[in-house]
Amino acid sequence: MADVAASVQDRFNPWPATVFVALCILATLFLAPTAGVLLSSVKTTRAIALGDLWSVPDRIYLENYAEVLSNPAVHRYFLNTLLVTVPATFASIALGVLAGHVFAKLPFRGSNILFLIVVSGMFFPPQVILVPLFRLFNGLGLIDTLWPIILVHTALGIPICTLLMRNFFAAVPNALREAALIEGANEWQVLTRVALPLSLPALAVLATLQFTWIWNDFLWPLIFTQSDDKRTIMIGIVNLRGQYTVAWGVQGALSLVASLPTLVIFLFFQRYFIKGMTMGAIKG
Amino acid sequence: MESQNRLWRVLLLALPILVFSVLVIWPLLSSFYYSFTNWNGFNRDYEFLGLRNFAKIWTDRLFFDAIVNTTIWMAAALVLPTLTGLFLALLLDRQVRGARIFKTVFYLPICLSAIVVGQIWIWIYQPDWGLLNTFVKLAVNPDFNYAWLARPDSALFAVIVAWSWQQTGLSMVIYLAGLTSIPSEMLEVCEIEGATVWQRIWRVVIPLLTPSTVVVVALSMINSLKGFDILYIMTGGGPFNSSDTLAMHMYNESFKKYLMGYGSAISVVLFLIALTIIGVYFRQLKKVDEIYG
Repeated sequence: MADVAASVQDRFNPWPATVFVALCILATLFLAPTAGVLLSSVKTTRAIALGDLWSVPDRIYLENYAEVLSNPAVHRYFLNTLLVTVPATFASIALGVLAGHVFAKLPFRGSNILFLIVVSGMFFPPQVILVPLFRLFNGLGLIDTLWPIILVHTALGIPICTLLMRNFFAAVPNALREAALIEGANEWQVLTRVALPLSLPALAVLATLQFTWIWNDFLWPLIFTQSDDKRTIMIGIVNLRGQYTVAWGVQGALSLVASLPTLVIFLFFQRYFIKGMTMGAIKG
Repeated sequence: MESQNRLWRVLLLALPILVFSVLVIWPLLSSFYYSFTNWNGFNRDYEFLGLRNFAKIWTDRLFFDAIVNTTIWMAAALVLPTLTGLFLALLLDRQVRGARIFKTVFYLPICLSAIVVGQIWIWIYQPDWGLLNTFVKLAVNPDFNYAWLARPDSALFAVIVAWSWQQTGLSMVIYLAGLTSIPSEMLEVCEIEGATVWQRIWRVVIPLLTPSTVVVVALSMINSLKGFDILYIMTGGGPFNSSDTLAMHMYNESFKKYLMGYGSAISVVLFLIALTIIGVYFRQLKKVDEIYG
């Protein structure tokens, strides 16, 4: 078996060394931007201004991180972002589970069309609904609170969550559902006791995707909030550019700190992340 | 049984459909409505302008620029990540050593926000000590100084490179998934029949990857049409509107000049472009499904 695999590899890859070297060069190019920010974040502003950004420092300078982490505005931005991201991630997945179950197990006349309408929601530029939503939340007096951001992210998450949950539920054998129904369970129990425990991987996929997207979002908090203590971290990066105009190191540290939650999630749940990306793309 | 099913359908679908209708469908439809008005974003009242906002589109120099920029932006954002993504996928499909690590490196930028990506690339283009100019200074001309993001000739393209850097991983992932469905026996047969590597790639692999290409192309177009954050932070649409796309233009008219009626008219145009892309995409998906099963 081992030498069969080896021969396949040989056939597949006529120049393993060349390909490896090419990949190394490309990977270096790809990492250079991120590495630059990492380097700048551990250097003094003076060292960067002197054109010394791209050398490896002999001493790691952590003051930039101390500055970022001790800034009360940054705490506020982080808290706001969490207050938006966690509920919206949870709510959009919950709604996707409900709709996905119906589309997978209780189809009705016209359900395919309805499903298509819901799913196509993820393809439209958000600018299309910007003005009416601003008017709606303005009328409700909710501008400059976190509510509109949470609500809009919940709604905009429904397409992808419904799509993935429907595809996942559709793969759960009907016999399981029927057996549960015969034993006297109702539909709600089928969903929560039978289907959901089986779909933890799908829930993990959605949790990583939704968390990352909502955490990284910029447009909705830009539209719906005005005062500094309601801003989320991505707006915060832009706002603090003014405060740290030439403090490039501090800006670098801030960017990295702001990306830390999504970076950690990505590195630990990469498998789920990629699966979600491809599933959402291909079945769409 | 059937009546029970009907009840459960209503119970389970009520909340998701309600939220989706109120916050997505209804705003979408009322965007059309507001595009016929002169609402300014603050007053409760507005007047009906009929088609005047749409007539204005034709005479708006900035709108014309935005259409041109959007076309360049979408075309480049389509070609660059698709080709690099395909190239990387072909390299990585060969079970090279360290493939896992390479993949992680290439799709790492996907998890970064467009704001952070923009911030990173602002540093690269920084005229005095940015990576790009440092490199040019070392390699070509020690006195080189060019502000990539501050010149109308280069601003849009500078952002396109940053955008492609982030999007490449996505098309690579989709192509990698597509490559796993090509049986290696088929490639072996080709080799036994005497096909060279290039022939195998051009005549067999790339045609068989058509379903993935359809997805990558559609996704790239849709994503770039949505692209806003990265332009906002890197250039703000400037200098002199040289990187002002439709999405940027819509935001500026609505939320900088408070011409929300006119902004809605632009968003209607955006909607129609998106609708066309999606229509063609769904059609192609169906076709691909019929051919490739």
